[in-house]
Amino acid sequence: MNGLIRLPVGLASLLLPPLLTLAAPPWLSIVGVGPSWGVLWLLPWALVDGPLSGALGGLALGLLLDGLHPGAVSEWPVLVLLGWWWGQLGRRFPQFGRSFSLGLLAMLGALLLGLSLLLQFGFAHAAGFDPGLSITAGGITPRGWSPSVIALAGLQTLAAQSLITGLLAPVLCSLQLLFWRRQRARQR
Amino acid sequence: MPLGRWPRGSLQSLRSQALPWIAVLLVLGLVRLSKGAAFADLYALISRPFWPGSAQSEWLRSSQRLGADLRLTQLSEDNARLRALLALDQGRGASIAAAVIAREPNGWWQQLLLNKGSLAGVQLGDAVQAPGGLVGLVDQLSVSTATVTLLTDPSSRIGVWVVRTRQHGLLHGVGTSRPVLRFVDKDPLVRPGDVVLTSPASTLVPPNLPVGVVQSVDQRANPTPEAVVQLSAQADAIDWVEILGRSSR
Repeated sequence: MNGLIRLPVGLASLLLPPLLTLAAPPWLSIVGVGPSWGVLWLLPWALVDGPLSGALGGLALGLLLDGLHPGAVSEWPVLVLLGWWWGQLGRRFPQFGRSFSLGLLAMLGALLLGLSLLLQFGFAHAAGFDPGLSITAGGITPRGWSPSVIALAGLQTLAAQSLITGLLAPVLCSLQLLFWRRQRARQR
Repeated sequence: MPLGRWPRGSLQSLRSQALPWIAVLLVLGLVRLSKGAAFADLYALISRPFWPGSAQSEWLRSSQRLGADLRLTQLSEDNARLRALLALDQGRGASIAAAVIAREPNGWWQQLLLNKGSLAGVQLGDAVQAPGGLVGLVDQLSVSTATVTLLTDPSSRIGVWVVRTRQHGLLHGVGTSRPVLRFVDKDPLVRPGDVVLTSPASTLVPPNLPVGVVQSVDQRANPTPEAVVQLSAQADAIDWVEILGRSSR
């Protein structure tokens, strides 16, 4: 496989989303909620490198991001699906790169990712895994969100994150698209 | 009018001559009734420049502080002895100062990342205090970092009590900046402004750490009343925290 992952810069760039998630620059946020850096990284990567690389990139990134947070809720399933979908789009439309389309796709990606998290939190609550912060020998047990918490904080977080991701995507994803296309061209 | 001489003239002039005397007697009567309070106040006003200097009041304050310290020591010893009898948490062990190196006070997970981990002696479940009060509990550990789940996170639940009414409850994070306090009792008699501390009966957190202030109370909440609590330590504005080690769990 002659993908971007074989480039040192490609592999190193995988570390950027978790680092930016930790740094959480407050000036890039809406009501304190930052963008989904994973989505902003994955969209150009998958568009340039195809569905398989997109899915694998989503998996790798999801596993990295999951390591930053306690609990059993996971981001990788949706990131894998998004990587695959955006890879297919990149195959079908090789010159895909309009700012509006990138913003819309990133917003949709952040929305799907947030919805999956909400569903997982809600499911954990419905299944009774809601003991709060209980410390056991094996670490922290899974925890869930009640419907009132989902309505109060979950939907606000979902809306804010989708919006800021969609607003940043035209700038950040366009630059990355350009960069990755140049790298691909050099690779060939 | 000289005293001892019967006044001459009409009744009107007699009344006008007697009026100053009546007024004076009235004032004196009031002085008598007030037990000289007005005189004392007047004296205090006049003698203010000659009052004892600040040195003496400082001596008095330092002796009061000494007395308070002694009382605190004695009460702490009593408290430790009683908690030992009840087999409750012994309170604080050694505390570790740590810097906040990443923060996520809003979003899907509400947490802080600290620059001290298991190598520095931090343990899972250790309480983390910032200037102002408790901010959360250590939820995840690495060798050199500790992840703190904030009190605002929906997964956070800690036992607290309202000092004034001695009512216990469970503080639930709801994802917003103000967690909700659910009381155990049906009639907690709590009102806005009451101070919330960690519960002395809690096995998760050290007792009597400041948490926040009751902002509003919903008496009609089901099944028990609820209160919205304004936290006293703001997680988005702190750079250093204190990890409170636990002497026993």
